[in-house]
Amino acid sequence: MVPWAIEIVQAALVLALAPGLVGVVRWLKARLQSRRGAPPWQPYYELRKLFGKEVVVSSNASWLFRLAPYVVFASTAAAACLVPSLAVGRPLDAVGDLLVVVYLLLLGTVFLSLAGLDPGSAFGGMGSSREMTVAALAEPTVALAIFALALSAGSTNLGQIVGRTLTDPAAALSPGHLFAFAALFVVMLAETGRLPVDNPATHLELTMIHEAMVLEYSGRYLALIEWAAALKLLVFFALLGNLFLPWGVAVAATPVALTLALGSLLLKLAVIAVVVAVLETRVAKLRLFRVPELLSVSFVLALLAVTSSFLAR
Amino acid sequence: MDSLFAQLVVLESSLALIFGLVLLWRRGVPAYVNAFTWQSIVLALVAATVAWFGRQRELYVVAALLVLLKVIAIPRLLARMERRFATERELAPYVNTATSLVVAGLLVLFGYAVMRPVVAASELPTRAAMPLAMGLVLVSLFVVVSRKKALTQVIGFLVLENGIALLALLGAYGIPLIVELGVFLDALMGFLVMQIFVYRIHETFETLDVDQLDRLRH
Repeated sequence: MVPWAIEIVQAALVLALAPGLVGVVRWLKARLQSRRGAPPWQPYYELRKLFGKEVVVSSNASWLFRLAPYVVFASTAAAACLVPSLAVGRPLDAVGDLLVVVYLLLLGTVFLSLAGLDPGSAFGGMGSSREMTVAALAEPTVALAIFALALSAGSTNLGQIVGRTLTDPAAALSPGHLFAFAALFVVMLAETGRLPVDNPATHLELTMIHEAMVLEYSGRYLALIEWAAALKLLVFFALLGNLFLPWGVAVAATPVALTLALGSLLLKLAVIAVVVAVLETRVAKLRLFRVPELLSVSFVLALLAVTSSFLAR
Repeated sequence: MDSLFAQLVVLESSLALIFGLVLLWRRGVPAYVNAFTWQSIVLALVAATVAWFGRQRELYVVAALLVLLKVIAIPRLLARMERRFATERELAPYVNTATSLVVAGLLVLFGYAVMRPVVAASELPTRAAMPLAMGLVLVSLFVVVSRKKALTQVIGFLVLENGIALLALLGAYGIPLIVELGVFLDALMGFLVMQIFVYRIHETFETLDVDQLDRLRH
């Protein structure tokens, strides 16, 4: 019973934390730019409000448009449950494969792009085509970076990768891990629609990607999509934090270990949030035609990661 | 102790290689100068690490000289040149950014292949980082041949020099101090000569684009 209880606690925690994480990043950014900013818990208010609002759907939209938010949310939530945010050795670790997590997230991306195309608005189509460009370029990088991690751990299972790094702390500083971390960080920026690839703060730019796709959504559909986007950010942050610096993740199911795990998870999320906020304050959005170059940087880093994990064994 | 030494050296060499790769992605000269400065700081750290764990006291002197010359002096001179040629950005290198990054990845792969026998034969704790240094040498050589502007080529050359210094530090715990001093002097002299060349090229052709040097034929 206890393992499943931990599983449920972790899932609930991740779902509850996600909007707060987005709020914290926004708040940090505002403070860095000398604005007062909305409080970090603002996204919760927004979600509550959106869930209470009526849904307006374009008359041209098909069933796909209504289905997409549920698929996006469900796939992202499933991925969030598989990531070992608090503990390893949970029952879901048996299916918690890195490839599963990545492709669950991609499933959400695909459905969101389809939903962007569906109502036939100009903005949505543009956003979808851009999202697909970015996703297609980010995909090989993610696969390669995963292989680099899997090679050094001997498994693509998330729990085993974390456990392996915990037993052999020196591996965390190997060149394979370093390059893979850098590659995944760049991909994280691209996949979650942060600067310099996409601007999460505006609806008004012609260059927007994520916001262009969700422009037609309202009410609870929009709430689900926003929540899923926040979850995706949390999944990537937790992956970066726990795969590369797994210290603190609970190995045994004791209350002390779990409290420690919660503390270290919050600390890691906070540190990555600060890094992202500083980065977003410092850099400007890239021209769309330079985005493939940024992603090829991360591809090369991932390639180097695989090379050095493979040859330095 | 040795494993910590090996980890630190590998970490620092990876950082040096990443700063080398930055040259292929950025375009502005200030970004090039920044990458070079950071790489030199990392190189000085490598020297200090090898000095501490390998008990080579001379290398502290080398680290200090590295900071003086490559972190303070040369970046300043580069920044001064950059102010003068502010418009000379690396807008269209011979090889475009995406391709040159992939080429760089393959070059590092090649570096691993070339250094395999050396790594296998070596007993030093620093051996795991040697392929990275070789990769840096190859990548910076590629920077030199694929960039179009004289100024970015000069920075590519300086990074190449960093790569060779890194390889020497890792493969042999540095070279005798007197030789090291000579190399530093050479690097500085080489840089000054290249600086004069860059000024001359700019005076004669009013651009730093080396393509324009073809006009010498006429």
